[in-house]
Formats: sequence, C-alpha cells, structure tokens
Amino acid sequence: MNVETQKVKELIEKHKSQRRALIAILQDIQAEFNYLPPESLRFVSETLNIPLIDIMGVATFYRSFSLEPRGKHLVTVCMGTACHVRGGLKILDEFEKKLNIRPGETTQDGHFSLETVACLGCCAIGPVVVVDDDYYAQTNIRKVDSIIKKYMKKEKKNEEHKKN
Amino acid sequence: MKNIKKIRSITELEQTIAHEVQKTKSQTKPILTVSAGTCGRARGSMKVIGSLEKVIKKENLEDKVQIKVTGCHGFCEAEPNIILQPQDIFYQKVEPKDAKDIVLSTVLENRILDRLLYLESATEIKALNENEITFYKKQKRVVLGDNALIDPTDIHDYLSTGGYSALGQVLSEGDPESVIKRVKRSGLRGRGGAGFPTGRKWDFARRAKGDSKYIICNADEGDPGAYMDRSLMEGNPHRVLEGMIIGAYAIGAQEGYIYIRDEYPLALRHITLAIAQAEQMGLLGKNILGSGFNLSIHISKGAGAFVCGEETALIASVEGKVGEPRQRPPFPAVKGLWKKPTNINNVETWANIPIIIQKGPEWFSQIGTNGSKGTKIFSLVGKINNTGLVEVPMGITLKEIIFDIGGGIPDDREFKAVQTGGPSGGCIPKEKLDLPIDYESLTQAGSIMGSGGMIVMDEKTCMVDIAKFFLNFLRDESCGKCLSCREGTQRMWEIVKDISEGKGKNGDLELLESLALAVKDASMCGLGQTAANPVLSTLRYFKEEYEDHIKHKKCPALVCKEIVSSPCQYICPIDQEASVYIALIAQEKFEEALKIIIKDNPLPSVCGRVCHHPCENVCRAGESGEPIAIRSLKRFIMDWALEKGYQPHINQQRSDNNTKIAIIGAGPAGLTAGYLLNQKGYAVTIFESLSVLGGLLAIGIPEHRLPKALLNSDIENIIQSGVHIETNRALGRDFSIDDLFQKGYKAVFIATGAHQPMKLNISGENAKGVIQAMDLLKSVNLGEDVKLGERIGIIGGGNAAIDAARVSIRNKKCKKATILYRRTRKEMPAFEEEIESALEEGVDIQFLVAPIKVLTQSGKVAGVECIRMKLGDLDSSGRRRPIPIEGSEFEVELDTLIPAIGERPDISFLGDKSQLKISKWGTVEADNESLLTSREGVFAGGDVVTGPKTVVEAIAAGKAAAESIDKYLTGKRMDKEYKLNRPSIYVEPVELTEEEIEKATRPKMPKLKPQARQHNFKEVELGLTKEIAIKEARRCLRCELETEEGKMAIGWKK
Repeated sequence: MNVETQKVKELIEKHKSQRRALIAILQDIQAEFNYLPPESLRFVSETLNIPLIDIMGVATFYRSFSLEPRGKHLVTVCMGTACHVRGGLKILDEFEKKLNIRPGETTQDGHFSLETVACLGCCAIGPVVVVDDDYYAQTNIRKVDSIIKKYMKKEKKNEEHKKN
Repeated sequence: MKNIKKIRSITELEQTIAHEVQKTKSQTKPILTVSAGTCGRARGSMKVIGSLEKVIKKENLEDKVQIKVTGCHGFCEAEPNIILQPQDIFYQKVEPKDAKDIVLSTVLENRILDRLLYLESATEIKALNENEITFYKKQKRVVLGDNALIDPTDIHDYLSTGGYSALGQVLSEGDPESVIKRVKRSGLRGRGGAGFPTGRKWDFARRAKGDSKYIICNADEGDPGAYMDRSLMEGNPHRVLEGMIIGAYAIGAQEGYIYIRDEYPLALRHITLAIAQAEQMGLLGKNILGSGFNLSIHISKGAGAFVCGEETALIASVEGKVGEPRQRPPFPAVKGLWKKPTNINNVETWANIPIIIQKGPEWFSQIGTNGSKGTKIFSLVGKINNTGLVEVPMGITLKEIIFDIGGGIPDDREFKAVQTGGPSGGCIPKEKLDLPIDYESLTQAGSIMGSGGMIVMDEKTCMVDIAKFFLNFLRDESCGKCLSCREGTQRMWEIVKDISEGKGKNGDLELLESLALAVKDASMCGLGQTAANPVLSTLRYFKEEYEDHIKHKKCPALVCKEIVSSPCQYICPIDQEASVYIALIAQEKFEEALKIIIKDNPLPSVCGRVCHHPCENVCRAGESGEPIAIRSLKRFIMDWALEKGYQPHINQQRSDNNTKIAIIGAGPAGLTAGYLLNQKGYAVTIFESLSVLGGLLAIGIPEHRLPKALLNSDIENIIQSGVHIETNRALGRDFSIDDLFQKGYKAVFIATGAHQPMKLNISGENAKGVIQAMDLLKSVNLGEDVKLGERIGIIGGGNAAIDAARVSIRNKKCKKATILYRRTRKEMPAFEEEIESALEEGVDIQFLVAPIKVLTQSGKVAGVECIRMKLGDLDSSGRRRPIPIEGSEFEVELDTLIPAIGERPDISFLGDKSQLKISKWGTVEADNESLLTSREGVFAGGDVVTGPKTVVEAIAAGKAAAESIDKYLTGKRMDKEYKLNRPSIYVEPVELTEEEIEKATRPKMPKLKPQARQHNFKEVELGLTKEIAIKEARRCLRCELETEEGKMAIGWKK
C-alpha cells in the first residue's frame, strides 16, 4: 500500500467506514490531495463496497469535487445574482483573459485554477472573488491584475526558497 | 472563555441563566463590540480587532476594556462597525488606524469621533447610535438583533441573553403536544421559501409511525443573494440549536442533522463549536437536564449543489448519494431520512422557535399580516445604498424597505425592479412598490417570498440579461432527472441567450412562454416547477425590453455585450466608431483615425468642440475610474488635420441624377442632410434665412467655445463637395412649399431648428434691460453692438444660460454676472466643464433660487424678486422636487436680466396653408423613423420636430432624413433597418505597461488662464498635446474586442 492509499485508508476509518459518509470522505480526500485521484476512488469503492460507477456519479454531481489536479491557488469568482448585477461577469472575463484559462481549468504552470460559485453569501461586498481563503471585496477590473500579481509573487518566493 | 460545567437539571439551568444575565447587567467595563461575520472579515474586521488589541495592551487596559467579537450586525454597508458600550455609540467603516483614537478618545475620555459616525444621507445629520439610523429604525430585529450581543464562540454569552430558557421551560412542562399547539397558534410558516405552516408539519412528523425519527436543519441556503442563514449560523448558532432541540422534543426525534453548505466555512466552524459546547453543558446528548430526553446533532456538509436545498435531494445527500429529488408523497414527515419520519426546517424557522415559546404565540401572531405572521429577514442587495440584512414585520411595503431602510438607489439612478425569491422567484417592477410583503401578495405579483433574497435593480440592469442569468444558473443546477427540467431549462436559456445576442426572431417570445409553462407543469421538484418564474415574470412586466432586443437589436440598459459592442459607438446618434479612431490614435495612425471620423460625421471639428459626448457618459472605463476623453481625442485629430492642411477625401460622384431636393435651414441637420444627399448624386439646395450659415452653431454657441474659423472650415468642406447654399432666403417670407414643388423640387426637408426663447411669465418681463439669452448670443455672434449693464442676472441652468453668463462677464461694462438656478448643481443640465469654466471666470451661481417678479424703475430693470427653494420629499421615482420655502423672498439688485430657460421652434413661417400637422407643443409632427410629415414629399427633423436637443442629435436627424428621402425617391420602403452595432474594422490592441495599468488617469483639458480670457473671445480650451492624446488613447478598454466577432478578428484563443 503506498503513501496515498494509506492516507485514504485513514480518512475512511475516520468516518467509521460508513457508506453513508461517502460525501464526507470524498471531501476529506479532496482537501488532502487538492483533487480526487482515480486510485483513491477505486480504493474507496473496494473498501466500502460501493460500485465505482456510483462513486463517480457522486464525484461528478457535486461542484466542489475535481477529478483533475487543481492549481496551487484556487480563484473562485462569485456569480451570484447580486454580484452579477454589480458586474461580476466582467471580473470573470478579466480573469479568463489574464490567466488564459476557462472556469474548471488550471494554468499550464499549475499555479492557478479558476472556478465559479453560484453564491458565497457575501452579497453586500460584491463583486466577490475568493483566492484560497482570502476574500476580496468590491473587485473591479483593475484589481484583478493586482490580485493575480500578489499570488505570482508568492509562487516566485516559494520557487526561490526551493532553489536555496 | 471559562470552563463549561455540565448542567444536570432544569433548575440548575435556570440558575445558570439567571447568573449569566445578572453578570452581564452588572457589567461596568467598557465593551467594544466588533462585527466580524464573513463580510466584516473580508472588509478587515480582524485587522481592526488586532489593532485594538495592540492599543489596549500598550495602554495596560487589558483588564479594563473588553473586546467582543460577534457575528454580523446586519448593516453590511457600514462594516467593519463597532458598537461601544456603555455609551451606545455606533462607529462605522472603522479602519485599523482608527484603533488608537477609539480607545484613547472615546473609551477613556468619552469624546466622540465624528468621522466614524454614520451619516444619514436624507437628513445629512450624523447618527450617534442604531436608534438614530433609519436603516435600523424601521426594522423589528427579534431574531437577528441578538447578533450584536453575543460572542458566538461562547455558550455563556447566549445564556446571558436568556438563551436556553425556552428549552428549560419546555422540558419542565413535559408536554410535547402543547409545544406543537403553540407553534401552530403562532402562525409561523417555513422561512425557507415554501412557507408551509410549521406547526402542522411538526404534527405530521409527530403522528407518523416510526421507532426513530429525525430532525434536519436546512442550512444549504443556495439562493444567490440570500445570506441570512449564514449570518444566524455565524452569529447566533445556539439560537438555532435551541429551536432544534425544542422541535426534536416536540416531535419525538432523537437524532438531528444540520446540512450546511460547503461555501460557508465560518458558519460551519461556529455551529460545530456550538454543538460541542452544548454537549459539554448537557443540553445535548443523553438525558438532557435529567428529563429523560436524548438528542444528538450531527453536521452534514454540502458539496456544491443548489438542488440539495430541496428537501428530498438534501436527504439523499445526507445519505451519501447523488442529490436527486424524489417523488412526494410520501413526504419526509412520513418517510424521510433512511425512510424514517423526518422534519426538515430552514435555519430561520428554527431560530424563531425559542422566542415563540418565551413570549408566547399570541405575541408572535400580533406581528405581521393575516396570512403571514411574524418577521422575515431579507437580504437587501444589489443596486441599493444600504446593503444589509433587514428584519421586518410581514406586511411592510417594498417601497419602505427599498427607500426608507435601504436608502434608495446609488448615484441617484432610477429604480427598475426588485428580484425576490432567488431563481424560483420573479422581478417586481416599480408599479408594484406599494405591495405589502407577505407570502400571498408576492405570489400574486408573479414572484415568491423564497428564502428572502431581495436584489434591487436599476436602469442599468437589463431584464433579458437577468432572465438569462437565472436560466443559466438553473440549467447548471438541474439534477437532470426530469426531461422537462433538464431539457427545458437548457432550451429556454438558449432562446434567451440568442435574444441577448441580437439573434432573436419573431415567435421567440411565444415559444419561450409555452416552453416555460410546460417546464412548470411537468417537473417533479421545486427547482423545475419554479424554473420558469424568472422568465415569466420578466416577460410579464418587461416585454418591451425583450422586443427591443429582438426587433431593434438594442439593449436599453447597455448590458448585453454582443448587442452593445463598444458602448461609445452604440450610443452615438451618428454611429461614430470612437473606439476605432481611438485605437488608431494609440498607434499614431492619425490619418486613418481622421478617415474613420469623417466617414460618419460631416461636422467633425464642431463635434470635437461642443458635442455633449453621450459616449463618455457610457464609457466603461468610467465605471471604475474616469471615462476616456473621447471628445478631446476627436478634437485632437481635427486640429492635427487642420494643421496639416488636410482636405477630407470627398467622393464627388456626379451621376446623371439631377433630382432636385430643397433643404430649409443650414443648421447641423440641414447641412448634414444636404451633404449626404449630394454624395448620393442628388442636386441639393439649402435655403438659409439668415446671412450666416450654421444655425445655432453660428448664432448660439459663442466664439470662445466654438471658434467661427473651425465651424466655417467644416461648412466649407460641405460646400466644396458640391452642396449649393442660398442665404437670406426665408421660407414663408420669400417662397412657399408649394412654390418649391412647382419649381421641380421632388422632396423638401425642413430643418429650421428651435430659436424662439421661452418667456419667464412673470411680471416686469418686458422692461428695458431684459434681454433673452438667445437674442444676446445672436447679437454677439453676429458682431453687433450689445448694450449690457453692470450687474447682470441670468435665469436658467442649461448651456444657453452658461453661454450667456460667460459672454456677459466678457463685456467691459459688466461688474458682476450671477446665474440664478432653481435646483442644485447636481441637477444643472449644462455641461460640467462649462459650469467649471464659468466659475473660474468669476461668474456667481446661486442654487435653489427661483424668480417671482422683475422689479422695475421707470420701465427699466432694477432687480428681481426671488424665492429660495428646497428639495422636497422623495417622489414615486425616488427623486426630490424643488419646492419654495415660504417667507424666504429676497431681492437681487440688477440692471440687466437675461432669461435662459429654454427655446421653442418658431413655425409661424409655415402659415395656414402648409398642410403640415403641428403638435400641441408647437413642433412639426414627423414620423419617428421615416421623418415624413403629414404632407407628401415633405420631411422634417432636428429641433423643429423634437424641441431643443443637441448638436449630434441634429446631425443624426440629417442622416436619417437623407436615408429616408433617398428611399422615398427610389421607390423603396422607408422602414428603418436594424443592424447589430459593429465597427467597420478591428484594430490590434496595444500592450500596456504595468505602470500604465495602475496609474494612467484621464488628462485635464489645458485651458487659458482666467486672466487671459478677460474681455476677449479667445478659445478657452487649448486641446491635448500629441503625447497626452496618445497616452489617453491607450487607456481605452477596447470594448468592441469583447464580442465573439471582435475576439476572432484579433485571433483571441477561446
């Protein structure tokens, strides 16, 4: 059993290996690996005795799961009604342009993934963008650039760290 | 937080509660309560808290001043906000740098920081605390109010507000049935959206057969725009728990679940902590308070699926399956979670239970309307000044929520609609603003209460775009089980998307409607059954807007990108491709830029000086900064062309078409029509009654704004192209329309403008020294000698008034020029840049002043009696009208009075026999599209038809007349053809430097210093230099590249 499968085993046992906890288990796997690796799904299927097709059904039904590895930084643009009325679509367009990816995709360098969410419930400060755990209020086209730069700087620092 | 002691009996609970209540009451320490829900944190509350902690530590006040971190207080607009006790002061929009002042000044020395107080926009008075803030005054915050008192991470805080006493009461009574009876009597209806009577639902679950029963709290809150449940879960989680425990007891359930959506991490943390603390205290678990009642509550996280807000889909999700709804009956009350009887309620519903028990159902049922009892929390968001969570009694009107509590629409825009009920709801228009809010009235209006999201929309919101938005959301979230919903939402979305892109066809609306009804009818769950609501309600109230998109390929709100393309070109009455010539300027391709300008504009030098630039008013760069200086850039090119001696390329096609056309009036409309008809090969003659050409361009606008040399260079181009103009030839005096037709003219275009000034209709108006602005300007422009006095008063607020004032102040005799305007500066119709220049030149402007009568002495003007005005209450459109202040009359000493309150066309020259229909306002009636009058072969356009409008609109009328006359004479239909707004070429975009992106701003137009303008008519605005023009042109956002066509044209990969 490799390291990943060992981790998945622990997560399943954390939920007392209950079939009913399938969604919670997948959420934990997603949090751990930043996506749902196919091997982990096979392992869950065998361990909990749930047909793989049913697990794939759940994994593709719920929006928060990703079957592809996500980038280091997840950019989530709110597409709720209040944000939309305040110009949210333009913010999404701008991110798409600057990062050169569409929602659901990850940049080639693996730094950013772009997602949309139906509503974050922060309508008063819309248009809202969340990157990792950071909330950005009243975003506009100009701020998009500075947001991306902020995380690019982080990645540059990390890379320099790694080199040293 | 102190240790949590386990409570083992109801008596012990009552004692603990009493102790906590007393402790809080007798507390004397100053408390700084900081609002720190998710939004507050996004706005920096935690940083504010950090700064406060630092200051407190530095000043050694750690034991003396308490910081309380609470959930959100509901007034999102004011966040981060702090409530200071014991003084009860409300500070808003607090920043970390304010921390020192707050602690040292307000806490220690009781000095109020004015800058942090909330300013009521209506009264312009600062409010000290919540009681003085209109946003709060009209609310009844029985559920949400406690958020400001409670630290959600400490169960003792909840006890200190009397929390869990309702539970104690219920358990000591030992009568679950009576609990249900009381909930029934209260009239509480589910707050999640369907509004089913809660007590009745509990009854079903209680009576259902089953050895184990469940309760569920639906905290999925998927409606975009609704976040009241988040606020409750973050700010007062124990209130929700207490309601659930009481409910479980009443129904007989021993296990409960809280299904909370994934996207609420802070709420999740707080509710998880609250459950743990309740267990520690013995309020959850086995043998609660010794009553023998057991209950455990678990958390089940959502994973991003809107449909899981529907109860059967939610249950499937808790069971670990795909969230697909199932057929009902059987209802969850009978067969729910794991096929056992289950009662599901929304967060807000549960949160209402403790207070119903504490204060009794009679108290609750006194609030609200007959059918809808209690209060409802609404999330008031979108285009509204006071965004936030408002809790109001049912029955309050939409108008009160939006205009009183909400403070109206930002930027003084007009209210258009409010969307309620999320994607299952509908849009309510301004005609229904007096609607009292309750379940039934909202349904009748074509919407629903829903979870309480209220999204306010203004004139810049497109209802077709809103319908498309909701359909996109629903087709994405449809679970896919039912064909009608799965396919129906997809197809409806496709139809509305096509309409929004200018691809709509006849029959689309009928198809949409029948599809909507089919989806409604045949879908199994609430998502599908209500999916059609956004479409049906926007069609019901905004059908014209849909038709504008389909028939005219227009989006009145300028939202739909594929239709609007670049808004500057879209809005320009003469279709100037501003973003194209701007893009060419950015690349220094000035000659090509010139070609783009002149191909659509025969009076470009004029427009570059005096156009009212509707393009700049809709420029997208202006939405998050300043609009591009489009008019100045046009002027730059025209000045460059003049300097280079450029002759515009004129295609002098002389066909053998010698059809004669007569144009009456050599103003902008006539000159344009003449030029274009001549280009098409017609033999055009323009008859001008004056000796000068240009209409108001020549005799209205003064030299310092539009130098005659420039006007004449444009007109010379037109004459050079072959248009024949005769001056001193007046229709009526010298010839009639009949004469023209007799002489062989095949069509006549009347474009005589509106030069006749309107009278003030006050006594003394005919005295000597009263000179109408139009007469003054004409005389000055014609070089005549004008007699003005020393103290000049001008009545009016438009460009004519400013022109008259600026001309007056240049007169050597004038010592003072004062404009008297009846409204405020914000409402003055004159160009902002003109008002500024006038003030620079020493013109005095008095606002909110209206003339009552002219004071005379020996028949000459001695002054004017005025009355002061004030802005009255909001009217139905949300604007304030000026009303006179009684007893405020005063006199202004003058020797010259210049009325400038508007103009009308003078059509006396038409006589009785013209056969032209005249409107009740004295304008010539002409068809909107064809410009044809009531007489065969006679067309009319410009100010003579519309009343006074702008230069570019007159040019547009000239263009339309030329098209129409050409069609008329070649036997074609004169219907307007509607095309999508597109540029003729796509220019490559430039690459901006980082510095440009961050720092580039709109340049100020260089002007002559005010001293250099005295007593002369030199042009005041000097024009942009080449470097600045190019820099400004680079700032353009190139909106025309955002359409699919635009993206493809420059090779954007998509």
